[in-house]
Amino acid sequence: MRIPFFSMFMTSPFEGLQEHAEKVKECAWAFQQAIECHLAHECQTFEEFRQEIIQLEREADAIKRRIRGHMPKGTLMPVYNFLLFRYLREQDQVIDCVEDTLDWLSYRTEPGIPKELEKDFLILVDGVIDPIEQLSKMVAEARKYFKNYSEEQRVAVKKIIHTLHMMEREADKAEDTVKRKVFNMDIDAVTVFHMVRLAETIGDIADHAQNAGDMMRAMIAR
Amino acid sequence: MTQPYIILILGYIFGFYMAWNIGANDVANSMASSVAAKAITIRQAIFLAGILNVLGAVFIGSHVTDTIRKGIVTTDVMADPHVALIGALSALIASALWVSFATWKSLPVSTTHSIVGAMIGFGIMAGGFAVINWGKLLAVVLSWIISPLFSIVIAFGIFKIIVRLILSRRDTLTQALKFSPLFVGITLFVVVLSFLFKTPLGQRLAIGSPAALTLAVLLAVLLGFASTAALKRYLKKRESDAEAVFKRIQVGTACYVALAQGANDVANAIGPLAVIYFLVTTGSVGGKVPVPVFLLFFGGIGIACGIAMAGHRVMETMGKKITTLSNTRGFSVEFATATTVLAASKLGLPVSTTHAAVGGVIGVGLARGMEAVNFGIVFKIMVYWILTVPASALTSMAVFKILQFIF
Repeated sequence: MRIPFFSMFMTSPFEGLQEHAEKVKECAWAFQQAIECHLAHECQTFEEFRQEIIQLEREADAIKRRIRGHMPKGTLMPVYNFLLFRYLREQDQVIDCVEDTLDWLSYRTEPGIPKELEKDFLILVDGVIDPIEQLSKMVAEARKYFKNYSEEQRVAVKKIIHTLHMMEREADKAEDTVKRKVFNMDIDAVTVFHMVRLAETIGDIADHAQNAGDMMRAMIAR
Repeated sequence: MTQPYIILILGYIFGFYMAWNIGANDVANSMASSVAAKAITIRQAIFLAGILNVLGAVFIGSHVTDTIRKGIVTTDVMADPHVALIGALSALIASALWVSFATWKSLPVSTTHSIVGAMIGFGIMAGGFAVINWGKLLAVVLSWIISPLFSIVIAFGIFKIIVRLILSRRDTLTQALKFSPLFVGITLFVVVLSFLFKTPLGQRLAIGSPAALTLAVLLAVLLGFASTAALKRYLKKRESDAEAVFKRIQVGTACYVALAQGANDVANAIGPLAVIYFLVTTGSVGGKVPVPVFLLFFGGIGIACGIAMAGHRVMETMGKKITTLSNTRGFSVEFATATTVLAASKLGLPVSTTHAAVGGVIGVGLARGMEAVNFGIVFKIMVYWILTVPASALTSMAVFKILQFIF
């Protein structure tokens, strides 16, 4: 405090945002492994991956709280703090949904996902992995934009947001296919419910990634 | 040894101590952003700041020195040489004590306002509230608001211009080189003008305003283009973007701030000392006290010593703390700080470099130039700025009473 000049500089919330996005990205791999393992039956490591995700979610939560806790009123930023918080919330919900998916699977491990649906679920999971990985790239590009405010850089961020939209649409389609199939299969009602809810939770991952993109679009608006 | 000489010696000691404190406390304002942006090393910063503070103090400083002394308190209290002598000394001691206390307690205070408050305290003790020149005091209070505002506006404007003309373009290097004569030129224009208008040297040259303006413009244009030629030559290929250009320019602006700082702040330590010196040598004191160059030099050396001894520690903490400051941002902050300080001290306002530097950072923050600036803390800082004046005034009153008892 002695030197007023220094006390004005604070840890950038974008630093935390980036860190949070990296955590979200980290969970993508574990998520994919967990699902593939679960589909392979006789899976030993599913629980391990689930625990890893839970741990990552906890760490991401800590980062989120740290960002929110270190933003006093009157912090001057390139964006409104309201938008930043909304963005953070969406990004955090991505990892929440990943955890929810694995939790949901763990509630009923037997008989698991029916053979006929395996391929469709793999497509759906692949479809939401990419959006998860786009987030950290988007944050990095946006930070570059806030450094130079060039139109080119803005377009680069907008491109990623557009990609997120396209990916969400694809994931939506995959989710749709799964649900349509489930209702036309000869399986018991509990499995139907398990599968439908599973597909929806996985689909939510892409939804939240897209929402994060929309918030980013608002942040880079001129 | 006679009594006045004892007071003169004490004056030298505390004047030097005050200058030392200024150096130790305020070096961050001029060199912080350059060091943080890696434009210069800590060692270079200390060296440059030391030299330029001395130069600024000696060549540009004299005008401000007598304003502070006579502005706040009417000369009536100076009628009795004995009271004036003790008063000037108590003002020096009080402000030095208060600044030391603030440093110890980690309070953000301005050395400029410590001495202003101490002068007021002595004035009240010597002649009651009537001797305070409320108009001048109002000017001081206004300078708390005006100087950060002025600095905010300049920093905001210059950063927006840099973004529009350079950063947002495709080839930032070409743009930066294209416009560098402009930025260097403006900087030089202000420096040359303040040099011509305010310094004893400038007065001796006796250049009229139109001639001075023409000369300043000519020099600015000439040196602006010369610097661009030099930039083109010395830029390394691998780090060629706008930031690299501003990294070089920032060395210049850091010097600019240090120069302005020396010019402005030397008065804080040397003002009262000049009064004591004048009283001891001539026996009485008038409305104005000519400040001998050797006293300014003495003050400048004091500041330089403070920088040399405490600067390293200050700047190391700072290097860790300010990581988000790029060269274009640093340039904007420094340019705003120096211009504000030079303009304000030209108007005779006892402006604080700290205020101007804080304003500069806020200006760039408002222009959305930084990822996060804590604006809220400014209000906390301001409380200490305001508290400084009464606190050092009270200290000065107490010291005055004690000194009166002794001498």
